[in-house]
Amino acid sequence: MVVNIQQAVSQKTAGFLTDEKIVIETLNLFFYYSSDSPALKDVNIIIPQKKVTAFIGPSGCGKSTLLRCFNRMNDLIPGTYHEGKVLIEGEDINKTGIRLERLRNKVGMVFQKSNPFPMSIWENVAFGPKVNGITDNTDLDEMVKSALIQADLWREVKERLDQSALDLSGGQQQRLCIARALANKPHIILMDEPASALDPISTGKIEETIDELKNQYTIVIVTHNMQQAARVSDYTAFMMTGEIIEFNDTRTLFTNPDKKLTEEYITGRFG
Amino acid sequence: MIKSEQTIFQRRVDRANRRARFLITIGGYSIIVSIVGILLFLIYQSLPLSFKTSMKDLLIVELPLRVNKTQLIGIDQYQEISYFLDDKGEAAYYSIINRDFLTRDSIQLEDGEKIISPAKGSLNKEVFAVGTDHGRIITSEIRMNPRYQDNRRFIEPSLKILDTFTVALPPETEVNHIEKIAFCQNEDGNLFWSWLDHTGNLHLKIYNSEDDISFDYLLTEYLGREKVSTLTFSYDGEKLIIGSQTGELFWFDLSDEEAVYLRQNWKSSQFAITALAFLIGNSSLVIGDQTGLIEVWFPVRDENDQFRFKPIHQFKEMSAAVIQILGSPRDRTFLAIDETGRIQLNYSTSNQTQLEFKKSDYPVVAASFAPKADGIILLDQKQKLGMYQLKNEHPEATLKTLFGKVWYEGYIQPEFVWQSTGGSDEFEAKLSIVPLIFGTLKGTFYAMIFSVPLALLAAIYVSQFSPRWLSRIIKPTVEIMAALPSVVIGFLAGLYFSPLFEKHLMTLVLYTFILPLIFLLSIFLWRLVPEEKRMRVPMGWELLFVIPVLGISSLAVLGLSNPIEVTLFSSNFKQWLFETSGQNYDQRNSIVVGFALGFAVIPIIFTISEDALSNVPNSLSSASLALGASRWQTVRRVVIPAAAGGIFAAVMLGFGRVIGETMIVLMATGNTPILDLSPLNGFRAMSACIAVEIPEAPVGGTLYRVLFLIAFLLFIFTFIINSLSAVIGDRLRKKYARF
Repeated sequence: MVVNIQQAVSQKTAGFLTDEKIVIETLNLFFYYSSDSPALKDVNIIIPQKKVTAFIGPSGCGKSTLLRCFNRMNDLIPGTYHEGKVLIEGEDINKTGIRLERLRNKVGMVFQKSNPFPMSIWENVAFGPKVNGITDNTDLDEMVKSALIQADLWREVKERLDQSALDLSGGQQQRLCIARALANKPHIILMDEPASALDPISTGKIEETIDELKNQYTIVIVTHNMQQAARVSDYTAFMMTGEIIEFNDTRTLFTNPDKKLTEEYITGRFG
Repeated sequence: MIKSEQTIFQRRVDRANRRARFLITIGGYSIIVSIVGILLFLIYQSLPLSFKTSMKDLLIVELPLRVNKTQLIGIDQYQEISYFLDDKGEAAYYSIINRDFLTRDSIQLEDGEKIISPAKGSLNKEVFAVGTDHGRIITSEIRMNPRYQDNRRFIEPSLKILDTFTVALPPETEVNHIEKIAFCQNEDGNLFWSWLDHTGNLHLKIYNSEDDISFDYLLTEYLGREKVSTLTFSYDGEKLIIGSQTGELFWFDLSDEEAVYLRQNWKSSQFAITALAFLIGNSSLVIGDQTGLIEVWFPVRDENDQFRFKPIHQFKEMSAAVIQILGSPRDRTFLAIDETGRIQLNYSTSNQTQLEFKKSDYPVVAASFAPKADGIILLDQKQKLGMYQLKNEHPEATLKTLFGKVWYEGYIQPEFVWQSTGGSDEFEAKLSIVPLIFGTLKGTFYAMIFSVPLALLAAIYVSQFSPRWLSRIIKPTVEIMAALPSVVIGFLAGLYFSPLFEKHLMTLVLYTFILPLIFLLSIFLWRLVPEEKRMRVPMGWELLFVIPVLGISSLAVLGLSNPIEVTLFSSNFKQWLFETSGQNYDQRNSIVVGFALGFAVIPIIFTISEDALSNVPNSLSSASLALGASRWQTVRRVVIPAAAGGIFAAVMLGFGRVIGETMIVLMATGNTPILDLSPLNGFRAMSACIAVEIPEAPVGGTLYRVLFLIAFLLFIFTFIINSLSAVIGDRLRKKYARF
């Protein structure tokens, strides 16, 4: 279910999103790694469908934490808890009875450091469909191919699908991870600094891939690199100390920020 | 100033580095050196097993004998003095050290009387009977008593006549010739003579020394038309074997001196039997025939439960008729001498011809082993005396006897047997290592099927599923298990759990069926609980559900075992098991040992595989989980393959540990070296065998060396396993774990 913008009343910064459909919405989200202090403070944000939304901010500001709230990867860290709600396609993902497997099938993720499985390229891409119950090899072949094409890797690896994924270069590995996430046919792809460990050429390729993907997928990307955010994203949220300072369409945020803090950050006065 | 301080500091650092590198290098090399040292020592101790039998000439001399024909020769245990008995009844003593004749003794013969047939009657005494052409049989003994004077040893030979009797004259004859004779003095001092007179009659006389009575038999009628060619007694006087001119053999049973009877008659050759002798132990009979054939036969139980002589070993054929066979007084070595003077040294158990030689161009007229079987003395027709030192230390250990099936005396077929020591010196050592290797592998197998699943599942649970506080308790606890001395585990298993198992066998058997059943049932029930509610159980707390399941199944088993045993197995499960499967339940069995050994290796396998699983980077499992894989899918498809190298190494290390484990198998297996896969009986492991037998093995003896060989094999086993685990583990790690 896609929630219309009008329903997200509480969102102050939503004015610029009037024409968009919303897929993710947080309501007064607090997140705690331990009981001392929240890592996220009262976060209210809406993420529009089939657009690229970037989270920027200094290290430790909570942007990755927020991202990981969307597919509940934070659950893996013992002792964490949250308050407030996260709605994905209108559904509260923290309510009891939610199947995590189904949620993560829908919300794919690409990590900061490429983490292909120590298996063949084919096995890597087919992993998601396989664990979600697809066993037919021709179907899998088809899915692997289309995912690799979407991730712009097909041309480079089609001859050696049975070779170890670990033999690929860093950039190729990261695009393989994107393909792996795509093979599940997710609605949303979360990217946690996907290019931070890559050289400029590989980064460029990843960015091109993101650009092509945004027609079909909702992409949320966390990045350190403000130029990257400016290049690839449609909307950008600037976060600091667990709060969303400003959320706006990317051009406005970078050219004419509302908040002084935002301006200071993007002009490089701290960071 | 600052610069020089820095150089001083730099120098100090360099020096420390050098020192550290030196120490570490020393440490590393000394480990390698000590391992190689151990290996070399094991080889050094076991290598003599492979040494060939060798012979060395001690003395070869032409004897200036004035006498005509030497009938018998012998030598004392120190190989200093030998005697020669000629056909005039003169015993000449010859000092081998001085190469000169000493005193003489004589069997008082009548005028013109000559010895025509001699026979020795014991393996460890120089006691013999001679038959003369006057129809007399004279039994005497030559003693070689050592006397010590001024710290020097002198051998004092003396001859003593034990018995003389004249054979009854056959009707219508005036003289009687004792053509052939066999003689035996057994350990009780009873005397046995059997002789063939020149009329072709075969006689047997038994003298019971305790009751001072004699028994006389005429055996000719039993032989039919067969003509006697040679005859011999077993050294206990219970068997008399007659060989005929046409290859027939007759076994007379003398165990009841009042009722001697023909027990078996068989044909072993197409030609005349020319030499017969028993080997030590009175079971193996060596048969030599006219064509040079040498065979060993011994009585084997047949289908009717009757002992029958059967052909067991066939030795290399000699080129001419075998004229004499001499059994060694110490082991199952025997000399076979043919007409031309060719000599073979054979070992019966291993069916091996150890030496073949010819020392003279003339036929051998008399030969004897030294009393300790470490020398041979030979006299040829031209009075040439040869003394040879024999080095034949480990004839019973050959590749065949150690690793192959061997037909041992008294067994109905060739078998793998380990039975290293027996009640007496006459015992035939059975040194097959196969049952021990089998035992080790069997123990390892049962230990591994018990411990590997348990340890690996526990490692998976602790590293991937359990709540953190629980793993913090479980891991150190399991590691403490490793500190438990294996002697304690062995003690508990052997003396406490074995009887307990036996007592509650039915309960345990029932457990193995009921527990999984109730588990499956409860999983089924659990699935009926709505998903909503199931999701509320935090991960890792499923453990709590195991406790009631265990409780319920225990109660069920306890309640059911007695009624089931009474109704289904006529109130004795063990008996039922024996009757239906023929398997006897030994108290010390492989199941108990499997548990105990498993208990000893679970900590190793658990700890190492848990580490390997925990070391799989989170990024991999995160990736899998983020793709919508369930926890279990993640573990199965990502974590376990990535940790495969470590898990494999863990299992192999456990394997190596079990193979070398000693105390537990020693105390809990019963140490029976049998070849039987059944889990209901025990086994003997190589390590336990070494521990049990090395204290009683004479240093330098065959058993001692074989035990070292076993140690060497164990070393090789563990070496191979550890190397394999390193190599394969490394390869797996390279394949799966380059993150």
